[in-house]
This record gives sequence, structure tokens and C-alpha cells, in this order.
Amino acid sequence: MHATLCDMIMDLVQNSIEADASEITLSVEETEEKLMVVITDNGKGMSAETLEKVKDPFYSDGLKHRHRKVGLGLPFLFQTAEMTGGTAGIESQEGVGTTVTFTLDRSNVDVPMFGDFTTAAMTLMTYGFDVNLKIERSIGEKNYAISRAELNDALGDLNDAESLVLLKEFIASQEADLGTL
Amino acid sequence: MAKMTLEELRNLRESKKKEMVQRDGDEKSAQIIIGMGTCGIAAGAKEAFDAFLDELNSHEIKDTRITQTGCMGLCFSEPTVEVAVPGMPRVIYGNVTDKVARRIVREHIIEKALVSDHIFDKPAADIIK
Repeated sequence: MHATLCDMIMDLVQNSIEADASEITLSVEETEEKLMVVITDNGKGMSAETLEKVKDPFYSDGLKHRHRKVGLGLPFLFQTAEMTGGTAGIESQEGVGTTVTFTLDRSNVDVPMFGDFTTAAMTLMTYGFDVNLKIERSIGEKNYAISRAELNDALGDLNDAESLVLLKEFIASQEADLGTL
Repeated sequence: MAKMTLEELRNLRESKKKEMVQRDGDEKSAQIIIGMGTCGIAAGAKEAFDAFLDELNSHEIKDTRITQTGCMGLCFSEPTVEVAVPGMPRVIYGNVTDKVARRIVREHIIEKALVSDHIFDKPAADIIK
């Protein structure tokens, strides 16, 4: 199980990257009571038959690791939602894309800590695939949105140590404005 | 901390680029590849990423790239990190905690010495002292 919700979010966004998506949107909205996350991609999607199996931790399509028989990212999400009285859902259409949605009750003592979103966002933005990832984040009335294309335009090579330092500073300034830091 | 705009970010990058050109024109010399699969994330690869970046920044090392990859197949020793420095063997380090990440920057990247007690793959045994 992941230690924080940010770790879980990273894992789910990576699924979209690995589904050959060219556009991914991650929306993370917090209110006093709830955390709502939506991950939408235009990747290869899944058939209805595959979609039925994704909650099973002992199911894997075998494409990434030929000999592995486990796939834990989505099962972690559904298990967390079930354990804490939250909701989680996945919709997918082959050749169109996938949307993963979850809502968690922040007052439930078993909901994992949210974690460090600045590093999670920096990590996702520099994952190394040619994907335009957009992050929309809001807490109450405050919000910000950033996209990988805009960051690439401003910084050039995002994996360069100098760019990474500036990228982290940039995302941290957005998070500070939301009041999380 | 004031909310930074993209324009301010672009300007900062441009000013740093100018400083770099004035300092030297060397190409990137080292590459750090962090395993960021489910196993790596669960074991703390994100914290290792943060520690690498912080340590590189504190030593003002600019000529390094940090990239990510999926699971390297060494799930038992996550977080795993591959380090490539010109003139040295490529090495995969395992159990790279925050402290180990900082050691890799100081010992491997700066002092050009392998962090032998965390090597999980490559180079051959006779190279590791």
C-alpha cells in the first residue's frame, strides 16, 4: 500500500502515460471535507472485459513485465476507497481513453496522509515521455493550473538539474499560494 | 513565497542559462535514472528524487540530468537508481534512501568513487573494492 495519496496519484497518472496517451489531465480538488481526484487520458483505453479485471491485484496484461502476475496501482485505489467509505470509479473505452475518479472523506482516520504534492507534480512533469500533462489543483476558492507544454516552453529540458530546481520552486510557489506549504 | 508566473519562470531560466554559458560550455556529464514504478514509489523513490535534487543544488552541480524509468526488476531493493558518470562504470544502486542519495552525489558524482555497499548490479565483482 502506498504511504501517501500523492504516491497513489503518481501511480495512476503513470498508468495513463503507459497507455500511450498524448494528453492527460490530473485534477486534484480539496475542500474541508473531501478530496476529489480525476485523471483523464486519451490513451489506448480498455475493453469491457479488461475493465472488469483491473480491480484484481493478481491481474496484469503482461505487456510491461512478461512474467509478472500482479498489477497493484488500481487495486490500491479501490481498496483505499472501500476501507475509508470513499468512492472510486474507472471508465474506459478502447481507442478513446480512460477516466479514473475518486473521492475520499478527509475526516476518516484511515485515509492516508495527502503527502508532498510539489515533489509528486515535479516527478510527473519530468517522467520522460512525450505527453502533455495538465495539472489542475484547487483548495476552496484558490486554484492553479500548469501544463507540461508550458513548462517545456519556459524551461527547455525539464530533466536538467537546473531546470528541476526552478520547476520545483515554481510548483512550490503555486502550492504556497494555496496555503499547503 | 510569492506565486510565480510562467513569465518569471522563463526569465529566471534565461538568467541561469547566461550564467552557465559564462561559467563553461561543458556538456552534461552525469545522469541519474530513478526507478519510479509502483514498487519504487511505495519504497520512497520520490523522496530519493528530492534528495538527489537538493544535494546537487547545494553543491551547485548543474551538469547532471535526472530522469525516471519504471521498475528495473529489482523490487526487493527499491528505491533503485542507475548512475552513469563518464569514465566510470554504469551502476545500479539499491535501497537508495534520502541519505544514500546524498552519499551518491557526494561520493560517486563529486569524488568519483563508487558507493560499494549499495551496488546491486554492475560492475563486475573485481571492480568493487
